[in-house]
Amino acid sequence: MKQIALYGKGGIGKSTTSANLSAALSLQELDILQIGCDPKRDSTRMLMHGNFIPTVLDLVRERGDAALSISDVVYSGFNGTRCVEAGGPEPGVGCAGRGIIATFQLLEKFGALSGDVIVYDVLGDVVCGGFAMPMREGYAQEIYLVTSGELMSLYAANNICKAIRRLSMRAKSRCRLAGVICNAKDQLREKELVEEFARRVNSALIQFIPHDRIVQIAELNRKTVIEYDPGCPQAQRYRELAARVMENTRFTVPTPLEIHDLESLAIEFM
Amino acid sequence: MTSNPLPSNSCRFGGCTLTGALSVTSHVRDAVSIVHGPNGCTHHNFSLLHATALDNEDICIPELFSTGLTETEIIFGGEEALDRTLNSVTRLDPAAVFVLSTCIVETIGDDVRMVCSVPRGVPVIPVPTAGFLGGPFQEGVNNALIALAGMAGPAVPNGGVNIIGEKNLEYEVNENFAEVARLLDTLGLPVNIRFVHDLNVDQIPLLGAARLNILRDPALEPVGTCLLKQFGTRYIPSFPVGISDTIAFLKSVADTCGLDCREPLEKERELQEEIFCDFADLAGYEVRLDPAMTDMDGIRKVREVADALKLDITPAGCPVPLPADPPVGTAGMRRMLHRWRRSLHA
Repeated sequence: MKQIALYGKGGIGKSTTSANLSAALSLQELDILQIGCDPKRDSTRMLMHGNFIPTVLDLVRERGDAALSISDVVYSGFNGTRCVEAGGPEPGVGCAGRGIIATFQLLEKFGALSGDVIVYDVLGDVVCGGFAMPMREGYAQEIYLVTSGELMSLYAANNICKAIRRLSMRAKSRCRLAGVICNAKDQLREKELVEEFARRVNSALIQFIPHDRIVQIAELNRKTVIEYDPGCPQAQRYRELAARVMENTRFTVPTPLEIHDLESLAIEFM
Repeated sequence: MTSNPLPSNSCRFGGCTLTGALSVTSHVRDAVSIVHGPNGCTHHNFSLLHATALDNEDICIPELFSTGLTETEIIFGGEEALDRTLNSVTRLDPAAVFVLSTCIVETIGDDVRMVCSVPRGVPVIPVPTAGFLGGPFQEGVNNALIALAGMAGPAVPNGGVNIIGEKNLEYEVNENFAEVARLLDTLGLPVNIRFVHDLNVDQIPLLGAARLNILRDPALEPVGTCLLKQFGTRYIPSFPVGISDTIAFLKSVADTCGLDCREPLEKERELQEEIFCDFADLAGYEVRLDPAMTDMDGIRKVREVADALKLDITPAGCPVPLPADPPVGTAGMRRMLHRWRRSLHA
């Protein structure tokens, strides 16, 4: 079983990338489980044809965990992909990080963490220990950074490199950086910049996904690009991403950059 | 952000902010205290308060409630649980409700003050008591006393003296109070209220009526300063310990109140002399003071007693018991000497 996690700045397109990746992987006849680890709970929505599925934490709150079983929390989406949303508190109260930990413990208890590939789609910034949970021992060992060429996006990706490096030094930890996915914003020399960033943090650009209106159109039709228009070039890029993820064997301990190095890198490619 | 207190501070003077605050609020007898946190925080403190009260022959069940937080409230926020608990507790018609926070609710950012500010027909007083912020037991005591003082407004002066911050968990808390009350009485000063020991909510408004506050010990200075600002009441920073300290205490109280203390001082000195005569049989004994539980200042004051009785302090001497808190006033000294005599004549 392969367990991968996608991390990146908020709004950068992690959920879109995750859902299309899961959809593409499912077409390789693989059993896919996608887990949305963000209180916003919209990670799996396009796999579920626009539906918000009940979140694990909402179910626990309403019914108590003793009354729940695996069928209450796992929903079948596009092409048999299995979807889970962790959920979390309303914005501004409680502790979302603890929510992720609780969700993982429950999914373990249910034996829900199974399949050929588990895709963890995690909230933008690793703001506390809870959001590093998917990187811990027994969960995702391959971490993909989703970023554009914008400095703030690279800055967030670089911060996540710090978290991966810290966690990779723990005993028994097998959490590694598996690559960088560029979800482009149509900047000049964006691919070269992100490629160079990936190299400098001791990794590689695994896929360049150009900006394409088809993503928005598919979303308005409540579908992934893979499902909405499988023949379009963007769908092909997601399928390539899926193939590369499955073939990838280069997993590294990242070397995060200092802020001034990151800035001068961005200036170099301006 | 707070830093870790030194390990040296974590033994006797450490402890938890919450426990310190509960040692105060549980002594407001017609009020209840809610601990906003997991059940264990309440259970642990209930046991401690109950056991120490029994030690002092005080058979009183502390009125403690827990908001009983579990993981669900930690994830989704505990404010609703506090609101629910407040609603059910206020139905019991307490004279006031104190809400004490815990580590976890401060960590997840529950707005305890906001929930407490909802009108419920009874005073609801929040007391910040998250232990991880670094405040020891004493800080909890101070926070609770300052929060309670906020319930009192201006009052007509009545000439009495407040006793502030008694150590409700110490053995001999009542004996120590009685001794200070006796010393005040020699100056013709009545006690106004014991803030807080065995108190009712309707007595709290009397807090500002006193002409003087006497703090149990100097660690209560922040409370003394707060009351000075709030009511203009001056304070004496500590109960007296030992021979000369007791005399100095009387003089200091008299000076602050503008009283003539020559005669009371003379009488107190005579009383001390009588005690030394009563214990003259101890003269010449070799004794050893075990400083395990007493600070250097306390040791110095106990040494003064030993010197006055012509005891010989040597490392090879017979160990004599020292109270955990140094003996208060002349009567405290007499009780200590009775124990010494039993040890020496054993």
